[in-house]
Amino acid sequence: MRVEPAVASPRTERPYIQFDRVEVRYSELVIGLRGVSFSVNRGEFVFLCGQTGAGKSTVLRCLTREVRHTGGHVWLQGRDLGAVREREVPYLRREMGIVPQDFALLPQKKVWENVGYAMRAVGATRRHVRRAVPELLEKVNIGHRIDAFPHQLSGGEQQRVAIARALINNPSLLLADEPTGNLDPQHSLELMDVLLHLNLRGATILVATHDMAVVEKLNKRVITFAQGEIVADTGGPHV
Amino acid sequence: MFDRIEFILGEAFSALRRNTWMTFAAVTTAAIALFLLGGMTMAYLSVSRYANSLSDRLVMRVFVKEGIPRPQVEATAQTMRQIPGVKKVVLIPREAAWKKKQAEMPEITAGLENPLPDAFNVTLSDLKSAPTVATELEKLPVVEKVNRLSEVQDLLASIIALIRGLGLGLGGLMLVTSAVLIYNAIRLTIVARWREMKIMRLVGATRATIITPMLLEGMIQGALGGALAMGLLWGAYSGLGRLVTSLAALGSWPAFPAGTALGILMATGAAYGLLCSLLAVREPRRQGNR
Repeated sequence: MRVEPAVASPRTERPYIQFDRVEVRYSELVIGLRGVSFSVNRGEFVFLCGQTGAGKSTVLRCLTREVRHTGGHVWLQGRDLGAVREREVPYLRREMGIVPQDFALLPQKKVWENVGYAMRAVGATRRHVRRAVPELLEKVNIGHRIDAFPHQLSGGEQQRVAIARALINNPSLLLADEPTGNLDPQHSLELMDVLLHLNLRGATILVATHDMAVVEKLNKRVITFAQGEIVADTGGPHV
Repeated sequence: MFDRIEFILGEAFSALRRNTWMTFAAVTTAAIALFLLGGMTMAYLSVSRYANSLSDRLVMRVFVKEGIPRPQVEATAQTMRQIPGVKKVVLIPREAAWKKKQAEMPEITAGLENPLPDAFNVTLSDLKSAPTVATELEKLPVVEKVNRLSEVQDLLASIIALIRGLGLGLGGLMLVTSAVLIYNAIRLTIVARWREMKIMRLVGATRATIITPMLLEGMIQGALGGALAMGLLWGAYSGLGRLVTSLAALGSWPAFPAGTALGILMATGAAYGLLCSLLAVREPRRQGNR
């Protein structure tokens, strides 16, 4: 099953991602986003910065439809995500790679099994898994630890496995939520190197982080959030 | 297709293997609940059987007034059969009764005229209806007297009603308790597997792929619990049989219906497991979040 555009794009060429006055209200008192608007072009590398609770993770969760926006519109490749039906959400997620902060690796499975398990969960055959997993692990420079268990890996290596798992559907969009949150500066930069590499191959990358050392080093577009609003944007289609 | 089935079955069985203690807890909980439930059902069925056999033995003797012509007496038998609670009516003609008495006590009955009236043996279908039946019989014009046996009957009827009520009440309670216990066990299993579920969601697995192994897990746990309960029940039944036969010097104790019990308990366990898993995996719909 594929997710079809539910609402036609009002313009002939839309940005790859577009947030149009998006509001997310978790409850009467808890507000995630307050009328946020920004756009991201295909192939961009964007940092979403801000303190905890500023709204940067909510942006990512709107794109994965873990959260449903309560106002405005979220467009992904010209498709209104608010109109995507619940049963279509898994197929939407297969078009993007998601890297969580806590790696979410299965401790009792080896590196290759962690990636293979995710592939099997979305319908890949054993044969395809055997062929594709080594390639994916090589792509993120962790091929040499294929038989290791997660507890035998460093934080940076574990995060690379999580990125390899995010790439199983060959997505054109990669979303990373605080990927360096559990890493030391050295491993943080190594991880960013992997993400930059994927970006150079054409992937659009959104990274939610408050690791300003990494952000400054990479010199990419930065959107800064505070209390659910954008307070700064260093570049992009609408700036 | 085969690959999908293999993955889902593999997930269910590997979860059972990996969460050994959780599986053990769920299976034993289900087994104890089903053992109590099965035991209660068997006890209820035995009591019901005993009650029915008792009603066959307790027969009311109804005496007919003197001088009533035989055709009218026979017609009265038909009327008696219409009374609710009456299972069987047998006419005992005064001649037959006297003949029997003479055979039993020849010295006492020698040279006497037949003093016995015609009578009926009225067998009850339900012990509880004894007082009502007796009252109805007494209303009939040809009836002289009804031997009610009321005190014995009333007492037995009350005891059996109490046992039946207790059986139904306790059985129902066990049903609810076991459902809560299985639900909790499955819920704990699901909590223990949050990481797998999170990964599946992240990479875009469908809800069916995520929950089917858990439903299977619940069914397997329930069925295993049912099998274990059958073993416990068999043991308890045999033990009770030995005790009863030795105390009451009975010749035989009915054999345990192992095949039927295994089938019923495993099927009940699997259905319970499935139902409780379905309840446990359901996701509350909240505004905004999913």
